[in-house]
Amino acid sequence: MTLRDVAICGTGYSTIGRALDTTVGTLTLDACKAALSEAGLTPKDVDGIATYPAMGDSVASFYVVESLGIPRVDWFEDLFGWMPAGITPVIAAAHAVARGACDVALTFRSVKRNRERPPGIGYGFRVPGDMQFRAPFGDPMTSQWLAMWARRHMHTYGTTEEQLGSIAVTFRHHATMNPDAALRVPITIDDYFASRIVSTPFRLLDCDFPVDGAGAVVITTLERARDMKTKPVKVLAGEFATGPRPDWDQWEDLTYMASKYCAENLWKRSGLGPQDLDIAQLYDGFSWLALCWLEDLGICPKGEGGPFIADGNLAIGGTIPSNTHGGSLSGGRLHAISHVIECARQLRGECGERQVKDARLGVVTAGGGLMAGALLLEGNV
Amino acid sequence: MSDRPLPLPDPETAFFWEATARRKLEILRCQSCKTWVHYPKPSCWNCSSGDLKPEEVSGRGTVYSYTVTHQDVPGYTAPFAVVIVELEEQAGLRMVSNVVDVPPDDVRIGMPVEVTFQPVAEDVWLPLFKKR
Repeated sequence: MTLRDVAICGTGYSTIGRALDTTVGTLTLDACKAALSEAGLTPKDVDGIATYPAMGDSVASFYVVESLGIPRVDWFEDLFGWMPAGITPVIAAAHAVARGACDVALTFRSVKRNRERPPGIGYGFRVPGDMQFRAPFGDPMTSQWLAMWARRHMHTYGTTEEQLGSIAVTFRHHATMNPDAALRVPITIDDYFASRIVSTPFRLLDCDFPVDGAGAVVITTLERARDMKTKPVKVLAGEFATGPRPDWDQWEDLTYMASKYCAENLWKRSGLGPQDLDIAQLYDGFSWLALCWLEDLGICPKGEGGPFIADGNLAIGGTIPSNTHGGSLSGGRLHAISHVIECARQLRGECGERQVKDARLGVVTAGGGLMAGALLLEGNV
Repeated sequence: MSDRPLPLPDPETAFFWEATARRKLEILRCQSCKTWVHYPKPSCWNCSSGDLKPEEVSGRGTVYSYTVTHQDVPGYTAPFAVVIVELEEQAGLRMVSNVVDVPPDDVRIGMPVEVTFQPVAEDVWLPLFKKR
């Protein structure tokens, strides 16, 4: 099978905010319309669609097909389970367009918080499956599971709380230059240490900021993207990985994540390496995840992520500007669809005050712990 | 502690909770390659054998990692420490638990611990750990 070159041709957001009155359906359609409009397309042009509606916080693909009046769909996927949520439909769509299953694929990730749900993974009083070995011990939350990965990393490599704090401070600084970001008031390392502890070593400012909102990305062939309203952003690779014993505490070594295997795939399939990158949009559901991705991608040596970040390398103007929109920590928790959108817009040179000069090659990552997905994107193609 | 979530044993996990109710810590062990398999699964992750049987372990281990949680979760009032204990029988053989006799902020990686059992319902005893 001949694979076609693929590009991102449209990106769009809904309103993003805390506890919006808008329904998740409206948020989704707003984002999808914005992405299509940016490309100069209409719903009639769409013949593929994918999303990750897994956590009951979103709508499924068919809701959008029906609501937008898309006449025929030749490829669709609603993706469930443990997945690098926001990036998964984008990678799946890129592969579908590459093999010719469809020509214009609309992808989205929408998030509407369920404020009725208790903290953690709520299973009620009697807990089934592997969670029966966690929840009865006071361990039902993702923040706790990944806190123990971060703690093991700190123990092994000497990573400090102050270094974790520098992640939050750096990304917040970037968010001050992004009108779409949810949190735009600058913070200092003192603000970081003053924020309440959630589960050590994580403070509130180590955790992504829950919002309601949606992001959408349109994928088509590179050839067709050249005729659209936006500059094409070529998809060089889209990869997933996990490793042996994919489990939150049985994983072989909690100082690295599935990102290690995903990065190997990314560099092998693209023939490129971390030294080629101009920008990185690193998944930051928790601060430490961005640090671990940085190391596992090989942008800095394993164990040196803390000092590397504290030295300012991730800042706009630094050696590898990262999460230039503020990430999930300050931009809002959209499960990395915002990372994809930011990377594409940076590579098109449209980011104004926060634009990274001459950005041509960017990586987008999603997932933490036992799951990983990554996209390699190129501008000026 | 009345709202603490309790395990819902199934055919794969019932042996574990039946053992803790007898104040024994049992883990599935592959009878073919002798690998300990936790969480309980019907197949050995090392050799794919389906011949697994529960065997009692020493209950001794060390703290592999921990977190001190500062918000209440069902059954727990903050602050409290959650630990991952690595059992001495096998590298990487780990279980989530709590350390009962150490203040949350004094828990450390590498701390030697041993199992102790605490009743939380008529038929449910949790395997917790104490410093050794």
